[in-house]
Amino acid sequence: MESLVANNIRQRPLRALVSIAGVALGVCLVMLFTGLSRGMSNDLQRRSSSVLAEIYFTRPGGMELTTSTANLSVKYAEELSKIEGVQSAVPVIRYIFQGGRGFGFEQVQGVDWEPYAAMNDLKLVAGHAPAAADEIIIDEAKARNGNLNVGSTLSLFGGKPYRITGIYAPEAEARVKMSLAAMQDALEAPGKCSYILVKTKDGVDPLAVVRRIEAQPSTQGNKIQLTRDIITNIEKTIPYLGVFLRALVGLSAVVSGLVVMLAMYTTITERTREIGMLKALGASRGYIVSVIEREAFVISLLGLVAGFAVSFVAGYLINRAYGLLFEYGWRWALVAALIGVGGGVLGALYPAVRAANLDPVNALAHE
Amino acid sequence: MKTILQAENVEKVYRVGSMDVAALRGVSLDLEEGEFLAIMGPSGCGKSTLLHLLGGLLTPSSGRIMIDGEDLTAASDAKRTDIRRRKIGFVFQRFNLFPTLTAEGNLRLAERIHAGGSNGGEDSSARRREVLSLLKLEDKMHHKPLELSGGEQQRVALARAIVNRPAIILADEPTGNLDSENSAIVLNMFQEMNYRFNQTIIMITHNPEAAAMCRRIVQMRDGQIVAPATGLQV
Repeated sequence: MESLVANNIRQRPLRALVSIAGVALGVCLVMLFTGLSRGMSNDLQRRSSSVLAEIYFTRPGGMELTTSTANLSVKYAEELSKIEGVQSAVPVIRYIFQGGRGFGFEQVQGVDWEPYAAMNDLKLVAGHAPAAADEIIIDEAKARNGNLNVGSTLSLFGGKPYRITGIYAPEAEARVKMSLAAMQDALEAPGKCSYILVKTKDGVDPLAVVRRIEAQPSTQGNKIQLTRDIITNIEKTIPYLGVFLRALVGLSAVVSGLVVMLAMYTTITERTREIGMLKALGASRGYIVSVIEREAFVISLLGLVAGFAVSFVAGYLINRAYGLLFEYGWRWALVAALIGVGGGVLGALYPAVRAANLDPVNALAHE
Repeated sequence: MKTILQAENVEKVYRVGSMDVAALRGVSLDLEEGEFLAIMGPSGCGKSTLLHLLGGLLTPSSGRIMIDGEDLTAASDAKRTDIRRRKIGFVFQRFNLFPTLTAEGNLRLAERIHAGGSNGGEDSSARRREVLSLLKLEDKMHHKPLELSGGEQQRVALARAIVNRPAIILADEPTGNLDSENSAIVLNMFQEMNYRFNQTIIMITHNPEAAAMCRRIVQMRDGQIVAPATGLQV
């Protein structure tokens, strides 16, 4: 059936498109930022969960998400191995640098492959472990996403080329690993590491081992953390990320609301005479508000659909181009939907009420 | 005959800057059901103000207006809107059709507003077809206003005004924008509505020939009815 709302939208396609784009922008902002945060967080969690060592032993401040210090002596590994209940202790250097295309962070680890792989049950699915100073291995996801194979090269540490000698699975911690000695050499930190992974013997309570380590005079002054507590949620790890996301959500709501408000305000200014006609026909204030609100709702709904579509496409393209991971959740999608539609409907409320309160005679005389 | 409209000593004063300008100075008018009344007078004499007051689009500064037994002047804005919705149909000089809707869409919208937002159902569909047929618009029902001539647009406006069977049609210079041929067609339609359905009509006009088609004429000047309110029978 012919609809005043649909026909009004069709009559001004450009304005409708701008309004739809405004709502879509708000939805996109929410979806992309929360999708990225969630994707990166989940990715880190997945990779952390592959670490079978129960304890991280490090210097205070040595395990921050964005730091890459190598200030812990590898000699602690020997000390830790002697503690009752410890099966093995493997020193690791973690180096974090900005992503190759300016987005996000990338990690490289320096480990002695055999003990590290044995501790965490990792396997080489192709090639061999890194031995020389310019050799690295990567995980399957890195190989797949970067279209890399054994024999390919990767630039690390300011453009220095590294040859891929092997591909391992499953993914665990950094996607790129080199030998501990090569990393110490590259960072000019001989005899140092960032942390030591401690694996306890079967049936031994890791907390009991933690207490024994703490009681050991030679290991005191360092930090001991259980693996399960290390990276639970990136939102908790990066300070103020939660606040930033909430601010972004609020901003998106304001953007959506303002765009729809301006569009509907222009609409009622242009259609002042039509509003006068509605009043002459006996349309109540509620009816006039509902006509404008329904128009805003349709625009918001279209913006919402466009916003979701653009978010998915943009997420896919950014992932292809920069390797950043996006994972969209129902909760944030619902928030984005509420922002898109709620912002639009609320934004249209002022123009709608203003239209409903227009003087009918003046409105009918409007040119 | 049932009195359908009573205006008693209606005054309307507009505030223009710091000055009060009296647009109507004590207008009284009675109208019985089935009357076809022309209001004539020079520009600025208060004809349109009177029509807007009778239609509840304006409120008088003083006086009383009763429409079909309901006091328009004592009613709230919402109540006046409701009375207008149920009892009054407007026809304007500039047609005032919704440009995005077809002729039929304009009628449907009026029906929907009359029905309080819901669709009218089968009865209204039949009524709509009858009205469009009566006004010889069957083949134009799917045309938008810009695809119609001025005369056809005014016929659609008249169809929209009568489709809900209002107690009174208020027409503000309905032939003001039409050539003589289309004016004659539209006036004949008004007359037919009046004769066939006993439709009460008040029409503002400058055109003596248009006024001559009405059953009664009142003359206005300087915000007052100068011919007797009971009417000058033609």
